[in-house]
Amino acid sequence: MLIELALSIFIVLTGLFLTAIAGGTLWWQLHAWRTPEIHAATEFRPPESDSQLSFSLLIPARHEQAVLAATVKSVLASEHNNFEVLIIVGHDDPDTADVARLMEAQYPDIVRVVVDTHEVKNKPKALNSALPQCRGEIIGIFDAEDQVHPELLDHVDHALRESDADVVQGGVQLINFHSSWYALRNCLEYFFWFHSRLHLHAARGFIPLGGNTVFVRASTLRESGGWDSECLTEDCDLGVRLSSRGAKVVVAYDADLVTREETPDSIKALIKQRTRWNQGFLQVYRKAEWREIPDLRRRLLARWTLVTPFAQAFTGLVIPIGILAALIGHVPIAIALISFLPILPTLGTFAFEAVALHEFGRLYKLRVRMLDYVKLIVGGPFYQVLLAAAALRAVWRDRRGEHGWELTQHVGAHLDAEDHGVGGGPVPEAV
Amino acid sequence: MALAIANDPELHEVQQPAEIPRRARLRLNPDRTILAALLAVVLLVQGWNIADYPTVSDDEGTYLAQAWAIQHGHGLAPYTYWYDHPPGGWILLAAFTWIPALFTHGQLIAAYARIVMLPFTAADVALLYVLVKRLSGSRWTAVATGAVFALSPLSVTLQREVFLDNLSVFWILVAFVLASSPRQHLWMHISAGAAAAVAVLSKETMLIAMPGLIVAVWQYAHPRTRKFTLAGFLTALCLVGVFYPLYAVLKGELLPGPGHVSLLGGIEFQMDRPGSGSVFSPGTGSWSTLHDWLYYDPVIVVAGVVALVPMLFVSKYRGPAISGLTLVLMALRPGYLPAMYIIQILPFFALAIAGLGHQIVRLLLKGERIKWVRRGAVAALVGLVLSVVGPRWVAGDATALTSDPNLTYTQAADWMRANLHPTKSTKIVVDDALWLNAVQDGFQPGYGAIWFYKVDLDPAVEAVLPHGWRSIQYVVSTPTIRNDLSSLPTVNAALQHSKVLASFGSGAGVIQVRQVLDGGSS
Repeated sequence: MLIELALSIFIVLTGLFLTAIAGGTLWWQLHAWRTPEIHAATEFRPPESDSQLSFSLLIPARHEQAVLAATVKSVLASEHNNFEVLIIVGHDDPDTADVARLMEAQYPDIVRVVVDTHEVKNKPKALNSALPQCRGEIIGIFDAEDQVHPELLDHVDHALRESDADVVQGGVQLINFHSSWYALRNCLEYFFWFHSRLHLHAARGFIPLGGNTVFVRASTLRESGGWDSECLTEDCDLGVRLSSRGAKVVVAYDADLVTREETPDSIKALIKQRTRWNQGFLQVYRKAEWREIPDLRRRLLARWTLVTPFAQAFTGLVIPIGILAALIGHVPIAIALISFLPILPTLGTFAFEAVALHEFGRLYKLRVRMLDYVKLIVGGPFYQVLLAAAALRAVWRDRRGEHGWELTQHVGAHLDAEDHGVGGGPVPEAV
Repeated sequence: MALAIANDPELHEVQQPAEIPRRARLRLNPDRTILAALLAVVLLVQGWNIADYPTVSDDEGTYLAQAWAIQHGHGLAPYTYWYDHPPGGWILLAAFTWIPALFTHGQLIAAYARIVMLPFTAADVALLYVLVKRLSGSRWTAVATGAVFALSPLSVTLQREVFLDNLSVFWILVAFVLASSPRQHLWMHISAGAAAAVAVLSKETMLIAMPGLIVAVWQYAHPRTRKFTLAGFLTALCLVGVFYPLYAVLKGELLPGPGHVSLLGGIEFQMDRPGSGSVFSPGTGSWSTLHDWLYYDPVIVVAGVVALVPMLFVSKYRGPAISGLTLVLMALRPGYLPAMYIIQILPFFALAIAGLGHQIVRLLLKGERIKWVRRGAVAALVGLVLSVVGPRWVAGDATALTSDPNLTYTQAADWMRANLHPTKSTKIVVDDALWLNAVQDGFQPGYGAIWFYKVDLDPAVEAVLPHGWRSIQYVVSTPTIRNDLSSLPTVNAALQHSKVLASFGSGAGVIQVRQVLDGGSS
């Protein structure tokens, strides 16, 4: 009797708690589609006046000789009238440096090369090396294999002036959803994150920024001391620091203007990448810059955002346990029904993901087949397992004090197979 | 031409969404005043004499007893719940039966419990008012819709009764109102789906109205977010709805099997119910059901059916019109037609009738020339309609406000309270309308106070009657029981071997409290 009562209380409490978590997460994920006005506000407004700001665009490149030229050219094709490009190369990477020097020689007025001389290299160190040499009012970051839309800068220019923002985060989108079952889910994660969830964070005043297509006022960036060179997710850290100091961040997602990227090329690479992000989130959580946030609601949002990967791993594990306990434990029927409550938002998430996949296909003019929807749904639980594994691995490495940058193998369809190393592969800090 | 372009949904999609009209501030809101006046009239007409008219129905007693069972922790019904209907309706009732308890002390409980329906009818009228204002933009159309819905003599008769259909109507109207919200918020559409699911879980036949609701959700959503709001609506509809079969699965009662009831068995029973024929063939059950409705008020039925078709072509009314028409078509097919089925169509009839009136008036008033002729025509039309419908409705509603067909029931209940002194083992067989009274008088719920048809149909009840009819002490003979005697041998035998203790009324409607003569060996 007592055992049954205890079991019932356990099932009810976990059932309601998990429902709240899963439901809340789903609700935030759907932010962009809450009302037509909110949806309209997630897009860039078309520029209404001539551009007025000057940009310094940073492109950290490491072992990227194959794609760097194309990327720089796509940036140079920008219609904006006032920008410079700073390519950051390592002192130990002559191949990439050669390409960079060539670009500098070709476009001496616009392109400059900055050499990062740090002994141990990573992306924040590379960015910090270039910061003192930036002349523009706005500092923007692209990765070495990004394809940049020629009208992006004008839109960002307008968004910064119109909203008087300190930061503009543009959309980043993984596109190659056909590549594998996890690529499909990975693409959708980005879709929800940049199209929807980040806008909620911007509106609520706490936002972990992405790793590229992010534009910050140079003065703001310098005042806050640049990037944290020891952080595994320097972009998330920057976002947290800026929001803690009350900086205004605007997020804009436009299918035409997004920076297109590719998913990691293997499950191993995906888990490594995700482990690094999770570890980075833990670092940022412990740094506790977010404690500076004056109001409680935003502090809670900060706390919750940074522990989300771990909470997700936890809920994915506990929901089946709750249901199993209810089925085996011979509890009253009403209690058993409550144990099934967390399934509602979980199944709801599947439904909305299918709809989002359809929307994704429409926006990017990609053909989504029936089989893709099946993959999406069937792959869901397995993807959760991957994420949970990455969360556990992050905690494990964190406990053992392993804070090094794991090299991420990244092979784009347009790249030769090789190790791009730090600052190489796409490292937007998302999800 | 310019107008046509502005209405093109394709074009609309690329435009920025229009500024949303926010809800007006509280002060000096004519809508509130008008609605309050309308509700006052509706509550007066529906509430006055509510316990005395119409005749208390056995089904009312059943649903109230099931609500009682929930309140008292007996599960979903005083006897084994056998999936005859989904339980949403009486679960809701259970939460509200304290309202009639404020007004009634003794008397015929099942009839006084009808007071619980008044807040729902009032809410229905308010929901219709809000919905119609959104669909037509006209206050008077909104008032007319509410009035037709709640003041037709057919409505006054059926909406007073404790029927699951009335609760289902409330939820489907909630769903339509949420779906039509001008804010077009995703949350509203998800809630609309949940409300629609509860409507179906209150009365399963509301499922027939779903296609219209889905069309409405599609139409009222903004093209920018439509995909997601529709997904939210359907997901909520399915996921809330699925809890009913889940309940059956967890109890091991999804599939039929020996020794237990089942959800599929319940559905099969409802599907296999002997058809009541077609409404078009005289003499069948369906035919007489239709003529009962027409007897109370031909206006709302005939005008409703006629108005539904043209309203299909008024874009904003298309959803409700489809719901109304599918419900009508289902009634026309030969099969089992319950007497309360029309309740579900009443709000759609009211919407269509007032909506069509609004279209006609608008058509008449359109144009700059000969304005006074146009206004005169409208006035004449309104006058004509009122002079035809008015006297009929006043007469019908007057009956509802004054006559008392439940007098004999009430007298029987009073007599039982004063004269029967049951012990724990005393058994009385009553119809469902008197069951709550018997329980209040001290009979043990379920196996002391026994629903008459359980005597011969429920093995659990048979088990407490070891000597068959001899184990029974009292039977209250009512028309409901006498109608079914052919299939109830034990009840019949108990009646045969009984004497009249008290008799109320006369003729076919007589109610007799009878004592079973050999019944001492319980």
